[in-house]
Amino acid sequence: MAAVAAVYPYIKALNAEILSISTDSAFSHKVFKETSPSLKNVTFPMVSDRTHVISRAYRVLDENIGAAFRASVFIDPEGVIRAKLVYPGNVGRNLPEHVRMLQAFEYAKQTGKGVPANWVPGQEGISTDPSNIGNI
Amino acid sequence: MDEKLYAEDLSQCPTVFCATRDDQAPLFTADAVINGDIRKINLEEYRGKWVILFFYPSDFTFV
Repeated sequence: MAAVAAVYPYIKALNAEILSISTDSAFSHKVFKETSPSLKNVTFPMVSDRTHVISRAYRVLDENIGAAFRASVFIDPEGVIRAKLVYPGNVGRNLPEHVRMLQAFEYAKQTGKGVPANWVPGQEGISTDPSNIGNI
Repeated sequence: MDEKLYAEDLSQCPTVFCATRDDQAPLFTADAVINGDIRKINLEEYRGKWVILFFYPSDFTFV
């Protein structure tokens, strides 16, 4: 969670909010927040999905253990899911990729260009003009 | 995208809904810990901003 807190200022600057969600109770979240040094800098809301309704609705509930997958869902300002990253149980997320994804959405919106693989801010996008097909 | 889709409705939803790219994000209200307080949050109130939902299996583990 410290890794998430570390990129949170960059996420906020991109007009985005983070909501962390697990099926633990809000009381568990509170104690987790109060006792874990890694949560010292966490200021985003920690959501309790005690009923599993949210995890199930987003199709990230592991019904066998009653817990959510490690997954990140990107929702745009109009309330539409634009990307969904689902991770294995034993591999943590790449947080810079989350920031890059938001930067890429913004770049694509502003320039109308496609965003190629491994793009990072400062690099050129790709023209989506059909006449370029086969030339890139 | 004018019709609202609530998480609760999907439990009984007969059609296949995968909650993936270009789907409406199911709306929900839930308890959340914010700066040490337990408060209700509503996903709808974040309209106009990007939101990243960080699902994780369990407290006291890594994200």
